[in-house]
Amino acid sequence: MEQLLLTIGRNMFAIFGVMALAGAALMVASRSAIHSVLAFLFAMLCVAGCFLALEAEFLGMAQILVYAGGIVVLFLFVVMLVEMSRKKESEVFQQQSRYAVVAVLVGAAVFAGVFRKTIFGLASTQPLVLRPELAQGLDVARQNAQAVSRSLFADYLLPFEILSVILLVALVGAVILAKTERV
Amino acid sequence: MVSLNAVLLVSFLLFSIGIVGVLIRRNALVILMCVELMLNAANLNFIAFARHSGSASGQAFALLVMGFAAAEVAVGLALVVALYRKRDTVQVDDINLLKG
Repeated sequence: MEQLLLTIGRNMFAIFGVMALAGAALMVASRSAIHSVLAFLFAMLCVAGCFLALEAEFLGMAQILVYAGGIVVLFLFVVMLVEMSRKKESEVFQQQSRYAVVAVLVGAAVFAGVFRKTIFGLASTQPLVLRPELAQGLDVARQNAQAVSRSLFADYLLPFEILSVILLVALVGAVILAKTERV
Repeated sequence: MVSLNAVLLVSFLLFSIGIVGVLIRRNALVILMCVELMLNAANLNFIAFARHSGSASGQAFALLVMGFAAAEVAVGLALVVALYRKRDTVQVDDINLLKG
């Protein structure tokens, strides 16, 4: 058992990569749009797992928040609005909660086994390199996310600010595009 | 330890699946999702190279790309909704207003 968990932990990237590819293929292949969205969610979560396996913890968590929390929900809303108006809900969602609960429990158990020993250890076996003046007072091997933030706000401050303006413009543009003619 | 080539292979396959989806699917929503998939493949590459070279820049850029993806989805979905209001369809084959 211990050996099995160790093997899983060592091959985390391969496992998540294969699952992400399977999810992506399912997304392209499935006929109904709502199944596509669910497969897309699965693929995005697996890509987040890939990020974690590559020791980019902050990005993995941001991926889950942005994609699973924001983008997929947005897609689901639009699919409900556009595709579902002609169908009954029970035709699209099949009730298989029992199997879903079992699958989630098995997945959580495997994760707990794999991360039990490593979760409080070093963040990174191969620490990131920062410029000496940025790396002051920072143990990079333990605080990977902090290294990324120092790099982002020192070297890439201008792109970051431009991105915030772009997000604002996209927000206004989306409201104007989606609003009905009569206000 | 994950080899660089393995990550590049996965990201290449993800990108290819995204391109195939954009080319063969006719539903505008699924096409948008495939574009997102391609952005994710690019992100995976950024992170793989950041890890390979040990520099934090790749991860910082991947974060920026994630923000761009969110903005793109907001505008794209607003376009799809506006289109649906006007033409009552999201199939890109039925949208041929500019066809001569």
